[in-house]
Amino acid sequence: MNIKARRTLFITLFLLPTCICFLVFYAYPILQILATSFCQWDYTNMTSPKLLPMNDLFANYKYIFREYPYFWEALRNSLGWALVGVCIQVPLTLVVSIVLSKGLKGSRFARNVYIIPSVISSAAMGLIFLQLYNARYGPIQQIIQMFKPGYTENILLVPGVNFWAIVCAYVFFCGTTTIMLLGQIHAIPAELYEAAKIDGAKGLKRELYITIPLVKPTIKTVTTLAATSGFLLYNEVFFLTNGAAGTKSISYIIRELAITSTRTQYARANTIGVVQIFIGLILVSIINFVFSLEKRSHRNEVGR
Amino acid sequence: MKKIKENNPMGVQKGEAIFGYIVLGVICVIALFPIIWVVLASFKGDLLAEPGFTLPKALVFDGYIKVLTKLGIWKYFLNSAITATCGAVLSIIMLSMSSYIIARFQFRGKKLITACLMATMFVPVSALTFPVYNLIKNMGLFDTRLGLIFVYTCSGIAISFMVIRNYFATIPVELEEAARIDGCTYVQTFVKIMFPIARPGIFTAGVLAWLQLWNEFYWGSLLVIDRTKMTVPAILSQFTTSFSTDYNGLLSAIVVIIIPPVILFCCCSKFFIEALSGGAVKG
Repeated sequence: MNIKARRTLFITLFLLPTCICFLVFYAYPILQILATSFCQWDYTNMTSPKLLPMNDLFANYKYIFREYPYFWEALRNSLGWALVGVCIQVPLTLVVSIVLSKGLKGSRFARNVYIIPSVISSAAMGLIFLQLYNARYGPIQQIIQMFKPGYTENILLVPGVNFWAIVCAYVFFCGTTTIMLLGQIHAIPAELYEAAKIDGAKGLKRELYITIPLVKPTIKTVTTLAATSGFLLYNEVFFLTNGAAGTKSISYIIRELAITSTRTQYARANTIGVVQIFIGLILVSIINFVFSLEKRSHRNEVGR
Repeated sequence: MKKIKENNPMGVQKGEAIFGYIVLGVICVIALFPIIWVVLASFKGDLLAEPGFTLPKALVFDGYIKVLTKLGIWKYFLNSAITATCGAVLSIIMLSMSSYIIARFQFRGKKLITACLMATMFVPVSALTFPVYNLIKNMGLFDTRLGLIFVYTCSGIAISFMVIRNYFATIPVELEEAARIDGCTYVQTFVKIMFPIARPGIFTAGVLAWLQLWNEFYWGSLLVIDRTKMTVPAILSQFTTSFSTDYNGLLSAIVVIIIPPVILFCCCSKFFIEALSGGAVKG
């Protein structure tokens, strides 16, 4: 075997597992949900999806947008969680990692403590928050009663309030991303800070003009993660309300339609899947656009 | 410590320090409040008689005795450990092979493969719920740990791919060339030279992947229905129904299930933090 053939064989063999995994786990399912979103496929014809008639090809989409009672509720919630995730988690991650980078006494302890919620899983945190919110013995109820004596309602069943109750169960726990950002801050060369000191940049100014611009790529990653994890929220919804009282998310209705429901609607679940991928792509594009915008305006400033 | 000082040549001002300590205090409260409450409440005999955030009047261990003797909690930890570790290891081996090729070789279709792998980051797994569920069923892997390991191996590949490829890209090409001149085959160069050198990057990706899978709930609760094969997050979803009004038992079970990961983390926090921060933060 000559060298060239050996090289080709090596490349092929080393890429093969990843490619198989991509084809089986991503490409094939994506094509399947795209194709079956134009099919009639539910609990009545489980084994054989049937293509919809040509004049009514978009029936599933029409059903989802116009008739399915939970789609708009789920979309509103999921987008809301994505937005809240970005607005709270990104500044929080940034502030905490900058503070941790100062090496104050006790910051190692605080850093290790802050990751604990990420280590014990969002499922466990969901279950713990379910207990915290319990109307009969939870401490949150006790706090509410200090302001509103005699309040006995279960806040997880109060529409609107329960949206924020779910937010509180996940939004403050960003230990892993904080450590990633902290790593990037530590990687900033000390000379830059020395130069800044000579130029008179102190305190907040130093963070705004040196630290933050230098870790911007990681901030973008943190933003993307916050937005997508909020948009795809499932665990907290499942554990806290199980979709009751207007708290369904997109992931929740997909799983309900595809598996949990007694009248499973595979095609319609897949249709929502297509919509979910599409909106997810829009969200990511918006984030990319916003970050490229800032870079451009920054460049203009420097140019001037 | 040295590194931190280098990063702050002017030292920290007083105002900054006060703000800093407030932030540190707040994050500790945020992280510990739920856990401390659960631990306190789990010792209360009658939770309804002593609601809220109070110290238990008398320590009651009934719940713990019941949980430790009946629930067989180790089974679930073992399942979680097996599926998360196998999934992460297989996924990392597979991706370090392909990201090495992508980082080092020129060939036709390279751009396409890279684009496909990166695009998987934006494919939400929940959108693929039914096709994957169906696939696992057709493969005869439904309700087995093997099926879960398969799904875990394939999920979250984009982040690992990115981390490992970026690490390979930082290694000087000369090292490889030297190995090739010394007569190493392609496989030997990878196994003996490149893989060991890229270990820090591969570790980062591995720890990230493992943490993700250890906490994974969506597939864990979907693809396994036999209780004895369930992972820790999946079994948690059964707690509220199986304990129903036995609050003491429920809270004790929660405590028992969150303590081992916390202890594990405290023992290896150095390792975790160095890996997550890409080696920049010392544990």
